[in-house]
Amino acid sequence: MADELELLRSADPVPPDGPHFGDGPLDDNAERRLEQLLRGQRNGLPARPHDRRGLLSGRRDPEGRRPGHVRDLLLPGPRRLRLAWGLVATAVVAALTLTLVLSGPSTPPAVAAPRPLVVETGSTPVPLHRMAELASAVAGTDDAPRLRKGTHVQSWSLGMSDDKPPITLPEERIVRWRADDSHTEVVVATDPRHPGRPVLSDEGGEPHLVDDGHLLLNQTYPPSWSDAPPKSPPPRDPARLRAYLMEAQHTDTPLTTPELLDAMATLLDNWTLGARENAALTRLLAGAEGLRPVGRVTDRLGRHGQAYVNDSRGVRCMLIMDPATGAVLGLESTLTEPEPAYGVEEGDVMSYSAWMR
Amino acid sequence: MSNDEIFAAAYREHYWAVSRYVARRLDGRTGEAEEVVAEVFTVAWRRRADLPAAALPWLYGVARNCLANAVRGHGRRRRLVDRLGNDDTAHGRHITTGPEADTPGGWVHEALARLSPADQEVLRLTAWEELGVDEVAVALGCGSRAAAMRLHRARRRLRAEIDRLRPGSPTAEHSCMTAPKEHGHG
Repeated sequence: MADELELLRSADPVPPDGPHFGDGPLDDNAERRLEQLLRGQRNGLPARPHDRRGLLSGRRDPEGRRPGHVRDLLLPGPRRLRLAWGLVATAVVAALTLTLVLSGPSTPPAVAAPRPLVVETGSTPVPLHRMAELASAVAGTDDAPRLRKGTHVQSWSLGMSDDKPPITLPEERIVRWRADDSHTEVVVATDPRHPGRPVLSDEGGEPHLVDDGHLLLNQTYPPSWSDAPPKSPPPRDPARLRAYLMEAQHTDTPLTTPELLDAMATLLDNWTLGARENAALTRLLAGAEGLRPVGRVTDRLGRHGQAYVNDSRGVRCMLIMDPATGAVLGLESTLTEPEPAYGVEEGDVMSYSAWMR
Repeated sequence: MSNDEIFAAAYREHYWAVSRYVARRLDGRTGEAEEVVAEVFTVAWRRRADLPAAALPWLYGVARNCLANAVRGHGRRRRLVDRLGNDDTAHGRHITTGPEADTPGGWVHEALARLSPADQEVLRLTAWEELGVDEVAVALGCGSRAAAMRLHRARRRLRAEIDRLRPGSPTAEHSCMTAPKEHGHG
């Protein structure tokens, strides 16, 4: 049976065995360019220092060391860690597979899958434009929160691989940037509902068994720079923020509401918004079609919020806003249709993010 | 091996794969693809200390950013993006669909072109660059869970578009996937 990927594969416009760009020795131009790069290094000349056109401009090392030294210092630890956890992961995958085989497909395979957030009955929905007004008012105050690069988020999502069983992957991540454009990322596997209970993560690309609160990553990266969304600072004006989010989503067409929520999540995974940026974001959300207020919820961090939902293509997105500031607290996606191929039912949570300052 | 030697080895090993990646996203015009590929390896050279052992998905990630960003502010971005969205390759018009055309050719490209750029990219990386989910994650700069979900959703949408274009196509048995084009969120 030709599935959609096979069909697409057979329509490759530049196949490896085609007339152009087939594998083989480098041609003269490619050889010359390689030589230029290598020779530039030997002469001590950076190829194009501080070229601000590219997204991935070169890193700066104030002490004049070659960047490789930094890498050499950083790599051995994580490599050892990956190896150790890789061994554990093998055991976990084997155990999980065995469990699934023995229990059959009807048993919910997700381990510690979160229940969807529940809207409090009888609570009064607050329209989003009220949140936008609130956010604008907060932005006008003297001690309003300011924009910070980086994020602090607790997130979870269902593993949805074609060839692996669904698994749960809760983690908490903090990314913080410094004035010299370096940044540190700390990732901890955690599930606050079940303190101390083992959870799974796919850090390093493979599922790992980790204890609650297990440190997955604690790494400091050398300075880097980009002028492209979502790495560039978000604008404070709704129209410009809309364009920024479109660029972050690599699209030229206006964002649908699910896309806007997706883009918002990308933004909040990179930035901790200040009150003014948040006011612009809330304006955009207030103008999104099909995002309706449903009432009050308490999120997974115990925070009260106002919930807004959008249903689209079998997925319900719930946006949670802080009723005190109009800031975004979280986003949850649940299935509104079963996905038998992935062993998940209607109402199962696909993912959530809860952002903190 | 030093970083420079590792880079040189990766360059020699992956130069043509990166060229194909770029050409697939332009319209196969050799000259322009070559120019972008040169930029890709220039950027990769500057970042050679970051070059992972499995270099190719990482190089695709650099190439993706170069295609999207290297021409920023020079008036060429618009034209590039236009071409990425509207060229013959994207619509498959360069592919002959003769009487023997049991092969998907143009209409598969048409189905692909109806998806969002993000969906298109995850599908291209999987089908044309033949990357696994973990490698797609490296190329897209996201976690492997996110990549798996993006691929899952993009496949569903592609299937829906194919089914709509070709109701009798081999994928039509997945009739649950015929919902209208829209973009879900995970």
